Amino acid sequence: MESQQGEGGTELDSQSSIWVNTGGNKMAALTTGFGRARQGGAGDPREYKAETAAGGDKLGGGGGGGDRGCSFLRKVSVPGSGGGGGGGGGARLRSIAGTRPSVQNGQLLVSAGLPALDQLLGRSVSSERRSASSGRREGGRERGKKEGKEQINRRERGCGTIQSEEGASTRPQDLLWGCSSPTAPLGVLLYLRGGGLAVGTLLLIEEDKYNIYSSLIFKYFLAEGIVCGHTLLVASAKEDPGDILQELPEPLHDDNYKKVLDEGRSHKSQEEPEISMKIAWRYQNLPQMEAGPGTSSRFGHYYDVSKRMSQEVIQSAKWHKFFLPEEITSYANVESCALNHGYTKLLHFIQRVISEQGFDGSNPQKKQKNILRIGIQSLGSPLWGDDICCADTPEHMHSLTRFLYVLRGLLRMSLSACIITVPSHLIQNKAVTSRIRNLSDTVVGLESFIGSEKEANSLYKDYHGLIHIHQIPRLNSLICDVSDTKDLAFKLQRKVFTIERLHLPPDLSDTVSRSSKRDLVESAKQLSPGCGMMAGGKEHLDF
Amino acid sequence: MLQILASRGDLVLLRDSVEWEGRSLLKALIREVALKGEQVQVLGCEVSEEVFREGLDSDTNSRLVYHDIFRDPQGWTGNWGPLGILRACLRGAEPGPCTLAVDSLSWLLLHAPCSALCQTLRALGHDNSHPGRVRVLGLLHEDVHGPGPLGALRSLAQIEVTVGGNLGFTTAQVFHPKPRHRSIEQTYWFSILPNFSLEFHKEPLLEPRPHRGPQSPTVDAMADLTFNVHLSKKEREARDTLALPFHFSSEKQQSLLHPALASSTSQIFYEPDADDYLDQEDPDDDLDI
Repeated sequence: MESQQGEGGTELDSQSSIWVNTGGNKMAALTTGFGRARQGGAGDPREYKAETAAGGDKLGGGGGGGDRGCSFLRKVSVPGSGGGGGGGGGARLRSIAGTRPSVQNGQLLVSAGLPALDQLLGRSVSSERRSASSGRREGGRERGKKEGKEQINRRERGCGTIQSEEGASTRPQDLLWGCSSPTAPLGVLLYLRGGGLAVGTLLLIEEDKYNIYSSLIFKYFLAEGIVCGHTLLVASAKEDPGDILQELPEPLHDDNYKKVLDEGRSHKSQEEPEISMKIAWRYQNLPQMEAGPGTSSRFGHYYDVSKRMSQEVIQSAKWHKFFLPEEITSYANVESCALNHGYTKLLHFIQRVISEQGFDGSNPQKKQKNILRIGIQSLGSPLWGDDICCADTPEHMHSLTRFLYVLRGLLRMSLSACIITVPSHLIQNKAVTSRIRNLSDTVVGLESFIGSEKEANSLYKDYHGLIHIHQIPRLNSLICDVSDTKDLAFKLQRKVFTIERLHLPPDLSDTVSRSSKRDLVESAKQLSPGCGMMAGGKEHLDF
Repeated sequence: MLQILASRGDLVLLRDSVEWEGRSLLKALIREVALKGEQVQVLGCEVSEEVFREGLDSDTNSRLVYHDIFRDPQGWTGNWGPLGILRACLRGAEPGPCTLAVDSLSWLLLHAPCSALCQTLRALGHDNSHPGRVRVLGLLHEDVHGPGPLGALRSLAQIEVTVGGNLGFTTAQVFHPKPRHRSIEQTYWFSILPNFSLEFHKEPLLEPRPHRGPQSPTVDAMADLTFNVHLSKKEREARDTLALPFHFSSEKQQSLLHPALASSTSQIFYEPDADDYLDQEDPDDDLDI
């Protein structure tokens, strides 16, 4: 915890020195880290050289004319200037604590607070390795090609996973323009790693039935904001935001996280006696597949859900609170025709915070820029005064969609990232659900097993629910990163929330009865074709 | 089951249906609360005060404050409307822990917008004058409503009790999802005595549940197997010493390193049997290549 804050501090220092050098460029745009790093770098002769070397790659969104104050312009980074990770050379790009640039779409990323989820939400090149690569373009491209092949080869061996393409030192230009060189396989574009939530985008979490796990992810998002020193805006109609903050989980150190994970594993192995497996020689040298989306390259933090964040940390955080019952004093029906009263109030509130606190870049260059993390709980639930959950043909069918449309506009024009949870299982009209999904950038659905028949299914016995990635944004590009595994499950251990690939449990027992096996096979078939491949026929051979 | 009464600041949803009415259970729970010496506010919409108080003992009745909507369903005497009365219920209540029984939420749902009702219920549970001490027991006729309002109220409730029945006994399924623990799901079998006290029964009394019946003698599936399912220690050792074809060994290495040698020495001999059936036709004929 302390060390992380310290790291942030040094970055702020380097950042401020850059700002002094900015010279004539007073463009007060809401630039992402890329743009400002370049503007800042222009004052330093050495960096200037590096920049001119890469001049040909500019996409026109850089120094001047392209900055129209939208956080969605593509900024191409200077080659060789790595982002986050270990810091060092990356300090120039990672100008705001807790963010890092995405090489793939030129966006500034923040962590969702759950590194495993970050991995699923889009990937970029491992920034630590990139900072070590040289600035020479040709060399970089060659390397990019070679590693592309390597990655493809790995995939062919059946172990291409979400996480670890170690040493993916491909440079951004090669990735963005991977198609331009005919030999560069398209696969390079797809298998990158280390994602996050782009600044200016909206993450929609579709709540599980009892809003247990979705509220946990919501808290992770807020906790990550506090740890990174971001400003929070918490809106809720159900719980007092102050109470939500009190329940934030405590951050874990890296080594502690490993320990916690190991605890979980050793606990497991005590239950089941270890059975040594003979592995066929063709396969025994393959790297072991990691259970979850990888842990190798991340920039978020891990949290211990069994403990609460300490009071000092919470009090030191800067946050704004919107609690609907307090904001709406009269119960009179004062709804405007277009937008629900609560939504209007919330939009005004967000807009005020954004403009007054300088998240829209209105007070140029004086103040250190920061990220605003907006969290809105149970949006669309009846507590917000919305009736989309109550009727098939709600009276205010477009209230929420209008709200989201305006909210997205506010996000796009500011340095903010937003998470909303929506009880979409309650929304009666499926058209509304799909509209809401379309209006969000990233959509993640949670399906908990509590109270459902899947709870009893032995296929799912190790997990607490399924996680569905419904939508991943296409930012500044035609493609998006679709993870190679669609079947993902989550479980809440004593201390950590983990996301894992769902696969059939190994059939180790000698005496599995025929019927239960068939059940397994059946449920695996329902799950998806990918997982049920081994379940060829109805009859299951015992030998 | 009565531990559901221990939780505060919660909405307890009593779901009943036409077949199994839940008002007697509500009255029984009210009696339990009143026996603890607490005041109970009742918002009555569906039955008159006399009918509701009927059968409850005088001690309970004295602690019961009845807010009557049944007499004036359209709100002609006041100008508050049903939700206004619901909000006002707790104003006259004694400070301290407080229980509000709503009979029934279905009536309120039919007379007020669902979202407004949800907001009001939520506000009740977090009333400032009784911070964290209010418990709301809401009766809901679940077969009257569509999935929308039902889901909305269920998402508000911390505890759901579904009244049902089996074999002449009333059952109550209590479901209490808990964030960090295993959610509680339990079925209680009970009957309600004329004075509205609850009598719990051991699980099924008469026992004609099909799968619990006298078991047919279990067939040992292992009895007539033509093969070995378990290995003895000796057999297991023998199996472990066996070199499996997919294991890497020095011979395997040799054969891989010198494939030419292997292929030159090996030959395939084929001697057809005397009565071997050899089809002269092209076996792939039907493939239409």
